Amino acid sequence: MTVLRMGYVHARVTDLARAKDHYANTLGLYPTLETDDKIYFKGWDEWDHHSVVLEEGGVGAVKFGFKVDSAADLDGIEKRAQQFGDCTVTRMSKGENLEVSDGLRVYLGCIDHTFEFYHSMTEVGLEVGTHNPDAFPRHLIGIGAPMLDHALLIGEDIDTAARFFMEVTGFYTTERAQTDLSDKSQNIAYWLSSMQKVHDIALLKGENGKLHHFAFQMRDWNDILHAADIFSMDGVPIDIGPTRHGITRGETIYFFDPAGNRNETFAGGYTSYRDRPTIIWTADQLAKGIFYHARELKESFTAVYT
Amino acid sequence: MTLLSVAGTDVTVALRDGETILGGLHRAGYSARTGCLRGGCGICKVDLVEGTIGYAERVADTVLTPRERADGVILICRAVPEADAVIAPRADFRLRCVAPFLAALARR
Repeated sequence: MTVLRMGYVHARVTDLARAKDHYANTLGLYPTLETDDKIYFKGWDEWDHHSVVLEEGGVGAVKFGFKVDSAADLDGIEKRAQQFGDCTVTRMSKGENLEVSDGLRVYLGCIDHTFEFYHSMTEVGLEVGTHNPDAFPRHLIGIGAPMLDHALLIGEDIDTAARFFMEVTGFYTTERAQTDLSDKSQNIAYWLSSMQKVHDIALLKGENGKLHHFAFQMRDWNDILHAADIFSMDGVPIDIGPTRHGITRGETIYFFDPAGNRNETFAGGYTSYRDRPTIIWTADQLAKGIFYHARELKESFTAVYT
Repeated sequence: MTLLSVAGTDVTVALRDGETILGGLHRAGYSARTGCLRGGCGICKVDLVEGTIGYAERVADTVLTPRERADGVILICRAVPEADAVIAPRADFRLRCVAPFLAALARR
């Protein structure tokens, strides 16, 4: 059972034209398709047709897509999801999502979020090509975000949701935040990986169906600082950063798109392995875990989401 | 030019054309509880007790319901007063002066 990565985020925005300006001109994503009410984007270092879908009307998340290795993987996920129980599983047909193969749609009522698993997407290619490529495209726009990295979702029963991702889709927990180290401790958040990224998806205990952020993978700390400069030039509200996370060790900026959805630029983090011990953060050290330098939680980070 | 006042305080700010309530408060050296600054999270809701406001940007109905709009609930990060306005802060509004020299400038 191989989930390759989080392949797409489908989010709502209040104003598609405003959103396009942010995602194309500030983040530097490439618009690959525009319909009456949606825009599709990819990063320069992505080869599939899109990694971000924006739909006009409202704010927050619609659903998240995960790409699996082959069509046969879908059968395994479907079977295990049915055995798992606490979820609704339906088959989706090719083209139901534009440029995306057939697949599975799973609704997890325990956190009120929808996930899709698909085996292929129209390939449009890396912006640098595949034959003797240059290190990056010469004329990147804005921060030139290379690719989608992960998302943090909020929901009430994250224990069941995490169990779904581990038992049904083969993810493993790289890090976990819990109230304390006692036998009665409760889990506050999970960071889950399907391959070797430090996380593909994270789950935070809270209000059902909410989106905390989705993140783009940047090359390094220099690019994070450069991104922050671009955000100031473009009047993008920065929530936090540039700084480092204790959790995942990633280098980060949190900021908001024109509809108020939180985005992140994420760099660094360690290479993870399925057999790497799970890192545990306790509530009394959570501020350091989230903001390794400030070591103080900020309300706009903990109480603001869409 | 419109005047923005905060009920229960001595804060009055002369807003520039097209300026949001929060933009005026920031320019005048005040800080208040805010979130995404994009009208998407609803953290900065206050009650409009006098005046009228408009939005230059769309605000989602999931953030500010039609009922709330009818009741005069507004988002200070996006609301632009169209006439002299008085807002009533909520308990967690946390209005405070963070730059007295800016407040003095704005009062002149």
